[in-house]
Amino acid sequence: MTISKILLRTGGAALGAVFLYAAYTKLRVSFILFAMAIDSYKLLPEWAALWLARALPWFELLLGLALLSGILLRYTAAVASALLAVFFAVMVRSYLLGQQINCGCFGLGEALSPKTLARDAALLGLSLAVTVGAFLMKRANTVLAAGSAPASTMAETQPE
Amino acid sequence: MADQVGRKMRVNKLTAWLACAVLLGVGPMLLAGGQTGSPPAKKSKAPTKASTKKPPVPDDTPPNKALGSKTAPITLEVFSDYQCPACKQLYLDTLRPLIDNYVSTGKVYLIHRDYPLQMHQYSREAARLANAAGRLGRFEKVDAQLYSRQESWEKDGNLEGALATVLSPAELKRVRELAKSGKMDPFIESDLALGQSRNVNQTPAMFVSHQGQLYPLPAGVVTYSLLKRFLDELLHQ
Repeated sequence: MTISKILLRTGGAALGAVFLYAAYTKLRVSFILFAMAIDSYKLLPEWAALWLARALPWFELLLGLALLSGILLRYTAAVASALLAVFFAVMVRSYLLGQQINCGCFGLGEALSPKTLARDAALLGLSLAVTVGAFLMKRANTVLAAGSAPASTMAETQPE
Repeated sequence: MADQVGRKMRVNKLTAWLACAVLLGVGPMLLAGGQTGSPPAKKSKAPTKASTKKPPVPDDTPPNKALGSKTAPITLEVFSDYQCPACKQLYLDTLRPLIDNYVSTGKVYLIHRDYPLQMHQYSREAARLANAAGRLGRFEKVDAQLYSRQESWEKDGNLEGALATVLSPAELKRVRELAKSGKMDPFIESDLALGQSRNVNQTPAMFVSHQGQLYPLPAGVVTYSLLKRFLDELLHQ
C-alpha cells in the first residue's frame, strides 16, 4: 500500500468518524430539538425542518459508515464534500446576517461563531482533498492497469 | 357568731375579688383566641395589627420571578435580557401562548432568569426593576410591560415611565427604592452565574427540565409550535 493510499484511507476514515459523531449527537436527543436548530436558520418551512431533522442524522450515519469502510471512497467523499459545502454556505450566510443562533453541527448548545465556521471550512477542505485524491488515484490505477495489460497478457501466454 | 359572719363576709369578698381578677385576666385572653402566658392587653392588640399589615419580606429572600405551579411536570427556564430584540420576540410569540396554554394549566413551571448583556445600556436596570417587582409580587405584569414597551424605553432609558401604567404610584415608588438599593444585584449575579455554568453565551437561552433531565434548547427564538411539540412529547413520556 502506497503512502498516498494510506493518506487517502486515513482522511476518509477521519471524515467518517466526524460524520458518525455528528449523527450520534443528533440521534441521542429528540429530533424536535434538532428541528428547532434547523428552524433557527430561517431557511426552510417548519414541515421541511421537521423532515430534515428526522432524515439528516440517519444519512450522516450511513455516510460515516461508508467513509470508514473506504468502499467507493471517491463517491462517498464527493457526497460528503457536497453536504459540507451546503452546511458551510448556510452557516456563513447566517453569520453574515448576524443571526444569534446555534450551529446545530454536533448536537445543541454550540453557538454559531468564527470557530465553528473555521472547523466546517477545515472539514470541507479535508473532504475535497480526499475526493480529489480518490479520483486521481482511480485514474492513475486505470492508466497503470491499461499500461500493464499487454505485459500481463504476455505473462499469461508465456509457457512455464 | 359575729366572728363566723365576719369570716364569711371576708371569704365572700375574697371570692368576689378573685372572680373579678379571673374574669379580667382570662376574658381578654379568650377574646384574643385563647392565648395565654403574656399580658392580655398587649396580646389582644398584637394579632389585630399583624392581620392588617403584611410582615416585611427579608432582603435575602429571592424575588419571585416564576409563573405557574412548582409541582408542574416540566420546568422551563428562560435566560433573557430585557433589551434584546430576540428576547422580546420570544416573549411575545412563544412565551405568551405558552403561559396561556401550559403554565396556567399547571403543565409548565416557567422561571425567568436574568442574563443582562453588557452591550445593552439599560438591560441591567430593567432587570433590577423586574426583580424588585418580583419582590412585591408584581413580576408578571412588569415582565410583560418591559418586553412590550422595549422599543420606547430603550431609546431614552425611561423604564419607570413604561412601568407607570402597570404599577400604582406607591408600588412604583417601592420598586424604584428596591431597584436603587443594590439589593437586587445579588439575584441578577446569581442568575448570571447559573447561566455561565450552563454555557449560556447568548440570549434568549432556554432549558427544559423533565423527570430529572435537563434539555438545553437551541439558542434564539424557538417557535411556539416546535416548543409545543417538544413539551407534548415530554408530557406523553
